[in-house]
Amino acid sequence: MEPVVEMRNVVKRFGSLAAVDHVSFSVPRGSIYGLLGPNGAGKSTTIRMALRIMLPDEGTIRVLGHDLADVNVDHIGYLPEERGLYKKMRVLDVLTFFGEIHGVARAQARRRAGEWLERMQLADRAMKSVEELSKGMQQKVQFIATVLHEPELLVLDEPFSGLDPVNASVIKEIILEYHRSGHTIVFSTHMMEQVDQLCEHICLIDRGRVVLEGALAAIKRQYGHNSVSIRVSGDGSFLKSLPEVESVQDHGNELFLRLRDGASASRVLDAARARVDVLRFEVAEPSINDIFIERVSGSR
Amino acid sequence: MKATKIIRREYVEIVRRKSFVISTLLVPVLMLVFVVVPILFSVLEPDKGYRVAILDQSGAMGAELAAALTDTLGDGSPKYASTVVAAPGDRFDAERTARVGDVQNGVFDIVIVIPSSVLDDGKAGYITRDERNFNVLTRIEDALNDIVIKQRLAAEGLDYGRVKSLTTAVSLEMSQVTTAGGVEKKNVLGEYGVVFAFTLILYMALLSWGVTISKSIIEEKGTRIMEVILSSVTPRDFMTGKLIGVGLAGLTQLTIWALMGVAASTYAATGVVAILSSVHIPPIVFVYFLGFFVLGFLLFSALFMTVGAMCSTDQDAQQLQGLITLPLIVPLLTLMLLIQNPNSPLAVTLSLLPLFSPMVMLARIILIQPPAWQVALSIVLLVISIYFTINFAARVFRVGALMYGKPPSLRELAHWYRQAR
Repeated sequence: MEPVVEMRNVVKRFGSLAAVDHVSFSVPRGSIYGLLGPNGAGKSTTIRMALRIMLPDEGTIRVLGHDLADVNVDHIGYLPEERGLYKKMRVLDVLTFFGEIHGVARAQARRRAGEWLERMQLADRAMKSVEELSKGMQQKVQFIATVLHEPELLVLDEPFSGLDPVNASVIKEIILEYHRSGHTIVFSTHMMEQVDQLCEHICLIDRGRVVLEGALAAIKRQYGHNSVSIRVSGDGSFLKSLPEVESVQDHGNELFLRLRDGASASRVLDAARARVDVLRFEVAEPSINDIFIERVSGSR
Repeated sequence: MKATKIIRREYVEIVRRKSFVISTLLVPVLMLVFVVVPILFSVLEPDKGYRVAILDQSGAMGAELAAALTDTLGDGSPKYASTVVAAPGDRFDAERTARVGDVQNGVFDIVIVIPSSVLDDGKAGYITRDERNFNVLTRIEDALNDIVIKQRLAAEGLDYGRVKSLTTAVSLEMSQVTTAGGVEKKNVLGEYGVVFAFTLILYMALLSWGVTISKSIIEEKGTRIMEVILSSVTPRDFMTGKLIGVGLAGLTQLTIWALMGVAASTYAATGVVAILSSVHIPPIVFVYFLGFFVLGFLLFSALFMTVGAMCSTDQDAQQLQGLITLPLIVPLLTLMLLIQNPNSPLAVTLSLLPLFSPMVMLARIILIQPPAWQVALSIVLLVISIYFTINFAARVFRVGALMYGKPPSLRELAHWYRQAR
């Protein structure tokens, strides 16, 4: 199946600086795709090119099976990194307008906006002007504007930044729901935990270059060090003298053991249970954060 | 066409704004206040009487002046209650001091002092505490003037009535030959006022709507609304939509004003506004006014739009806006010259050059009837330059709309222009 977004050797320069430097990746249909990287890595520029807001200097971009020039932009929903709505407009009017410029008929846009506001518990604010809303509410309204036209592809630039935990989980729930109904979501973030929780595929960008790309599970396997975290009652200091253990990080209540290559985690568990009560035992996956730091610091 | 959605939003949001409603209603009211009210004040005097003491050193003129002040109030009672105080030679100064005291104490409102020397040097006095009404002063002055002249003529053995009729002043009445060959009386002063009002309103409309567009683009850039819009609407559609939407809002306002103006100049002949009716504004002038607004708006707003696209803050934009405002100011500065000679080479040239023509050609159309070819040429040149300006603006807009930071230099601007195809 053809990828929803496909970039090949895309370059975008600002003056002498290559903000995006020969970037290639492809977003499989129906996936949640994370575009990761530190601030200034080139994520937003990459996204803007995929949305035809900016034109690449080199390379080819295909979106929804078409060359960039022929893409039906009404099938894309875009949430920009810095949020903005017309402050003086009424909430319902702003949403209707955004629906309309994405090809939804006026009456239908109005109806859907009403439904979404209901769902986001903002129905009583529909006739208020945007500037009367709190920042969190405005973010929700902006998110509604992104999904109102029911796009096939959602492109979200830092969707969780600035959201409180309650609103973040509301948005996360909608993203997952969108995913379950078969749509594709690309989102950029510099917060690694979100990637761990949501993404199936990732693309790691640093200083305009792709550092790592592919299915999250595969990447984790590739970078997986053999390690476990363990919590015991009593003194766990003996663990570091086990033959399978290479090193120990003491996190207080929990110990993080890095095992020697080829060592069996279950042997460690057996050995531990022979001496103390094991309250918790987990074969740890490397976090994206670890992989990220390893790759990025390694390349510098 | 997505441009229609943009047009709708721009138009509805502007027209619904309180500031739009207020300015649409307030400007005509202010015009009325500034033009009509002073006239009303000068015409409608307060209906009140004056107690006048006439201090007369000459002995004869005081009584004559009192007899001449026969004006009556609304209820038929005399307006001036005059008391003649004879004050020959030695008593003059003492009487004068006493009468000043009377004014001070409110016994008299006005003291008219007629010294004997008035026949030689023509100087008399008007002493008052509160009565500064210019019309009262002129009325008494005119009356005394007549009396003094009569006395002087009598001393020379001449008849006042005869001299007066022989020295009637000449007045030149201006008329203008129309293209139809007829002759039309002109109220020159009124016409100056009309030209000035029309050019000033056109100037303010072009400037304020231009700045509105510039500001709204900077706002859309600043809030990143621009990104969302440009991810689904082409820059050209967006620009077109914005120009038309804002332009229609401006046109709505001016049409309301023009209709008010037509109504005013049609019905002005009744009542106190009759003074205004001496200036007749043909309705076609309002049509030209709206037409030149549309053309001028498209030209200048495309420029203001370019400025908005180039800048990220209002401060940056102000300098460039100032640059665009210059050609708008030139017609205002040269207006007096244009009015005096609407067919001078300067006037004709300015009325053909696109940046100046909307205001200057409009002024000439109000003043005279310029040759049809000049009007046509000025419109054609305007349309051509609008086409090129919008094209230029669209290219700069395409690149600039998503650029942040300081405005580009001329070299960068040229680069943007080539970059956007």
